[in-house]
Amino acid sequence: MSEPFYKPRFLRVFTGLVYLYLFIPIVIVIVFSFNSEKSLQVMQGFSFRWYSDFFNDPTLMDSLLTSVQIAVLTMVISTIVGTALAIGLVRAHSGTAKGFNILMLVPLITPEIVAGISALLIFSQLGITLSIWTIVLAHITFSISYVTIVVRGRLATIGTEVEDAAQDLGASKWESVRLVLVPSLWPAIVAAGLLVFALSFDDFVLSFFTTGEDAQPLPVRIWSMIRFGVSPTINAVGTLMMVVSISAVALAVLVPRLFGRRESGVKVLTGAEE
Amino acid sequence: MAEEAIRIENVTKRFGDFTAVDDVDLSIAQGEFFSLLGPSGCGKTTTLRMLAGFEVPTAGRILLEGDPVEDVPPHQRNVNMVFQSYALFEHLDVQGNVAFGLKRKKVAKDEIVTRVAEALELVDLSSRAAARPNELSGGQRQRVALARALVNRPRVLLLDEPLGALDLKLRRQMQIELKAIQREVGITFVYVTHDQEEALSMSDRIAVMSDGRVAQCGPPEEIYEHPREEFVAGFIGVSNLLEGKVEPGGKVRIGDDCLPVPGLDGAGNGDTIQIAVRPEKVAVDEIGADAYAIEPDMFTVEGEIESKVYLGVGNQLTLKLGNGSRLVALEQATYRMRADEQWEVGQKVKVGWHPEHCMVLS
Repeated sequence: MSEPFYKPRFLRVFTGLVYLYLFIPIVIVIVFSFNSEKSLQVMQGFSFRWYSDFFNDPTLMDSLLTSVQIAVLTMVISTIVGTALAIGLVRAHSGTAKGFNILMLVPLITPEIVAGISALLIFSQLGITLSIWTIVLAHITFSISYVTIVVRGRLATIGTEVEDAAQDLGASKWESVRLVLVPSLWPAIVAAGLLVFALSFDDFVLSFFTTGEDAQPLPVRIWSMIRFGVSPTINAVGTLMMVVSISAVALAVLVPRLFGRRESGVKVLTGAEE
Repeated sequence: MAEEAIRIENVTKRFGDFTAVDDVDLSIAQGEFFSLLGPSGCGKTTTLRMLAGFEVPTAGRILLEGDPVEDVPPHQRNVNMVFQSYALFEHLDVQGNVAFGLKRKKVAKDEIVTRVAEALELVDLSSRAAARPNELSGGQRQRVALARALVNRPRVLLLDEPLGALDLKLRRQMQIELKAIQREVGITFVYVTHDQEEALSMSDRIAVMSDGRVAQCGPPEEIYEHPREEFVAGFIGVSNLLEGKVEPGGKVRIGDDCLPVPGLDGAGNGDTIQIAVRPEKVAVDEIGADAYAIEPDMFTVEGEIESKVYLGVGNQLTLKLGNGSRLVALEQATYRMRADEQWEVGQKVKVGWHPEHCMVLS
């Protein structure tokens, strides 16, 4: 054979088919969300009518708001707790900490249905009324693990000498964490937060088990809509959810790069606002 | 001795069962360039970290300018440290890094600006004031770390292998610059290194550490010319070790040869002792020819060239003596030598050295 790295054509075709298989359902949802008629088979014309339906439907808007509230609360709480946990686990240097490092992975590999049912059982045993707070609590259980794992990776590359250096230069222990450690971790914290936002925003299983009388989060709401027949509005909702999730993940990837150059020297130096 | 900057009194530091620093007793003078030299794990960095306040001694006292500081936390000690990894704050630019200590001390803003500019001037980095640490070269990062510590005008500057990460050429250049900066600011430097050449060329005094204790402490010349024990003789430079028995009249018998050795005061007749001779102090001449390297008052023995390594600036010869012991001789090439004058392996030669170049090891 003259060409040592001969690439058979069928591999390209095969790769193309795999990608088609992955993206066709998504593309169909997006395309039909702009259909002017109710049909889910034939594209009859372009319109925003399903989007306008969505924005004019008060229950759907309530659900959207609820989903955003849940995602933001989950993001804020789990980033704070997860970061603190990562710092503690890395800096503790104890055998127990090693054990907890492995335990961190358990929420990630627990089947969501199991996590959902156990959350529901605990809440009902304790007599806690289901509300958006129970959903937030359930989401936090797995989100903390994501934050801790992302932040821990960054911590390992920073090392302990920067904290020592801060203390050597007159910062108390707490100041060294606040002024040096957390700012050094910031790109990882923000990225982890955005990731958690995306995960919480489109979570269905946990939300389904822990939703109460309040407005349902969007994925649960969509599920109950489908039970009464498929409306093209769902395509519009799906498309919008995809935009939100993709934006959050894209930001999570971009943020660490944006942090390369942030503050001007003068501002850092004097603390003055320019 | 000038006024005392640091006093380390019988300091011991244990980590569990491991004794990192074992009853160390040192006094460092104001304005001195003092090096802690030793292999990794000898306790030099732990000693430095106790001076900075990152470790608390298990026993003993540490005094900074007369005040005991064992229990003072790092941020309240008037010392600053240059870390091995530099430990720059990546989220701040160069001036932000340098200003960090002054801001913690609530120094007035315009004074911060002046002092930061001065410190950057001192390390020749004024043009990079607004750069981020990740945009700097290794040598520049090193200078930022130095400026960040010096700007606080500490009483003592602690340096933990500050040049370890630099390549050889930059290292040599920074050694000279560091020494010049130290002279300019007049601050006491405590310098941790495992590089004997670095310690010899920069220090006013060196403490050689081994297994947590100070093996020997003194000026570079004294450490090099008069090592008191085998570890020091072997760690600082290369030494030829010879074992012999003490004989009356200040002589030592090595095999069939009996050589005069000064400084035998402590040893009794018949004791077995070790003596060391530096390779560059050993002279080698052809047998039968006129004396070329060997001088009249040298002690001489006969030997044979066992191997030869050409070094460019000279030759390194391994010599086998009549009694079976081996010596390494470093023969410096000089303007008197001809390029084609070469030793043959197996050649019989005369070997000599001045008796005062024999170092008696305990």
